[in-house]
Amino acid sequence: MTALGLGLLLAVAILIPATGLPAFLVLLFAATVGAAAGVASGTIPGNLLAALPSRLTNLLENDLLQALPLYVLVGALMNRLQVADSVFQTTVRALRGGREAPAVAGLALGALLGPMNGSVGASVVALSRTVAPRLASSGMPTPARHALIAVASTLGVVVPPSLVLILLGDGMMAAHTIASHATHGAERIINTQDVFRGALVPAGMFLLLCLAVAVWESRGASRIAAAPAARGISRDVIVAIAAVAFVVGLLAGVATGRFYAVEGAAAGAFTLFVAAAASGRLRGGELGSLLLDVMTTTGVLFALLVAATTFTLVFRALGTDKLLEAWITAAPLSPLLLTIIVLAAIGASAIALDAFEIIFVLVPVLMPPLLMRVPDASWVAVLVLLALQGSFLLPPVGYALLLTRGVLRERVSARATARHVAPYLIAQLIVLVSVLMFPALVHLGQPMEAGGGAAPAPVMTDEELARRMEEMLRQPPEPNDEGAGVPATK
Amino acid sequence: MMRSWQRIYGLIGLVISVVKWLVLPIALLLLAQWPLREVIQGFSREANDLGQLLFALYVAVALTCASRKDAHLATDVLAHRYSSRVRDALVRGGLVLTLVPWTLYVLLTSAPIVWRSIIAHEAFPETYNPGYFVVKFAVWILAGLLLLQALVRIFDSAPLDRGK
Repeated sequence: MTALGLGLLLAVAILIPATGLPAFLVLLFAATVGAAAGVASGTIPGNLLAALPSRLTNLLENDLLQALPLYVLVGALMNRLQVADSVFQTTVRALRGGREAPAVAGLALGALLGPMNGSVGASVVALSRTVAPRLASSGMPTPARHALIAVASTLGVVVPPSLVLILLGDGMMAAHTIASHATHGAERIINTQDVFRGALVPAGMFLLLCLAVAVWESRGASRIAAAPAARGISRDVIVAIAAVAFVVGLLAGVATGRFYAVEGAAAGAFTLFVAAAASGRLRGGELGSLLLDVMTTTGVLFALLVAATTFTLVFRALGTDKLLEAWITAAPLSPLLLTIIVLAAIGASAIALDAFEIIFVLVPVLMPPLLMRVPDASWVAVLVLLALQGSFLLPPVGYALLLTRGVLRERVSARATARHVAPYLIAQLIVLVSVLMFPALVHLGQPMEAGGGAAPAPVMTDEELARRMEEMLRQPPEPNDEGAGVPATK
Repeated sequence: MMRSWQRIYGLIGLVISVVKWLVLPIALLLLAQWPLREVIQGFSREANDLGQLLFALYVAVALTCASRKDAHLATDVLAHRYSSRVRDALVRGGLVLTLVPWTLYVLLTSAPIVWRSIIAHEAFPETYNPGYFVVKFAVWILAGLLLLQALVRIFDSAPLDRGK
């Protein structure tokens, strides 16, 4: 019966695309089937499932998750304030309308708005509206345009302080707590700020490589028509500078620990709200409609969280987490190879699942056992981010590529798009392999006292692992101590 | 009977239209934490607790808001080929087999905990500020509203707010 959880996981991956039903409903369905089978067979004591309401309460009182609707509000306000248009125009002007200007401006926009937009899907929509028409008018071929929009839309996955990073940070914190508890590890448990800092250097590397690719790809494009020197120029410049300063300030404040992620999100939401209200963009029914959009997106994310919390409870109650743990901890593979295999599994699942679904469902299941073998949680977290981003761009079914094609509704050959995505994928692979080979890249942004320093955390030796496994067998942890998918931080 | 479902549908819409505003005081309260903690050195925990309470209510209603707008994340790589009748049957079947039993289970198993918390006017465990019972009650609101919205979707033929 312990293997049933894996069957349920497979069923989720098949049923989501096959039925077209909401992912949260499919997860709840799988959890319900697993719970019924577990109780009927006597594997799951009925009272274990009664822990569900308290796990839901944990979600509703989680400090970190309070940042979620606030970041969604920030993204919605940025769209209303037409920050994207202003940043694009200003960047093109700064580059004097050169051939490379639209592509570079598109990537800059992706890096700026991606972290605030919340998801790859939201970024695709924003960039398709703002950037795609201008790329088309600059003469960039359709496949190259699709490739650029898709790549720029995924930048939010790795550039902090994005929603994906916040949620992954929370998931990794829970996974690291479980792993550390099981191995009686003494290392400091990572938090969201560690993941932010860890992602800084790899994200910067990827962005620079992408800019180089964009410039190289723009060789055949024509110079973009000079934007009219109208009154709007000064407004665009002011809005662009304010937006860049705002995002950089937010990032710096959160990364340096000046304030918590939730306070940074609140400051951002409040500032943008005042700016939008003062500029008259929230008149009439505009504000009501904006707030409804924010609530809808918040509901989408929390529905997944609630479903994933239920699913992981059943998964653990069936004992499948222990089965996976035994497989991963006993696998006669080096920690590096093991990490690569787990990353490949996450990358493969990204074909069917969104970043949020992977973070809520797979991270709580796969990460605890992996972190028992590879205790450098910041390194693993950044690798997961890079694997996620890479898989969203993988032709022909990469999530970002499919979304871009769906939103732009242009006839384009998948092979031609793949040809234009290839240089960006190579750039992504270079960063991924660099981080895999040199874990210190993740720790460059970490203060020495954060446990990372310039050197990576040590990888557990086989002898040490065997000793800890023996200790675990002598004192098996209580199932209830394993925690929910997302524990309360209070 | 259809009229009753329409009334329930309208009632849920009213709840959403009121609760959607809570994100603004949540932002204000969580922003206020920082100066209250660093400058005034007081009342930051109160601001945090009040923010948490409003956040719990907001999230409890947000799930139903997403369902009502049919906005949940879904991939229709294969399902876009199905007829609208098949897709509708899949949705209703999914709700009957999954969401209805799940919400009923949450409502029933949480009832004693929520009820005890309300009767005792349970305070926040770390600060002893009043109102923690609202966070626990929010679980009921979450499950209750989802159940009602699911029933409306199952029994009514035009229950979506899509595009509004």
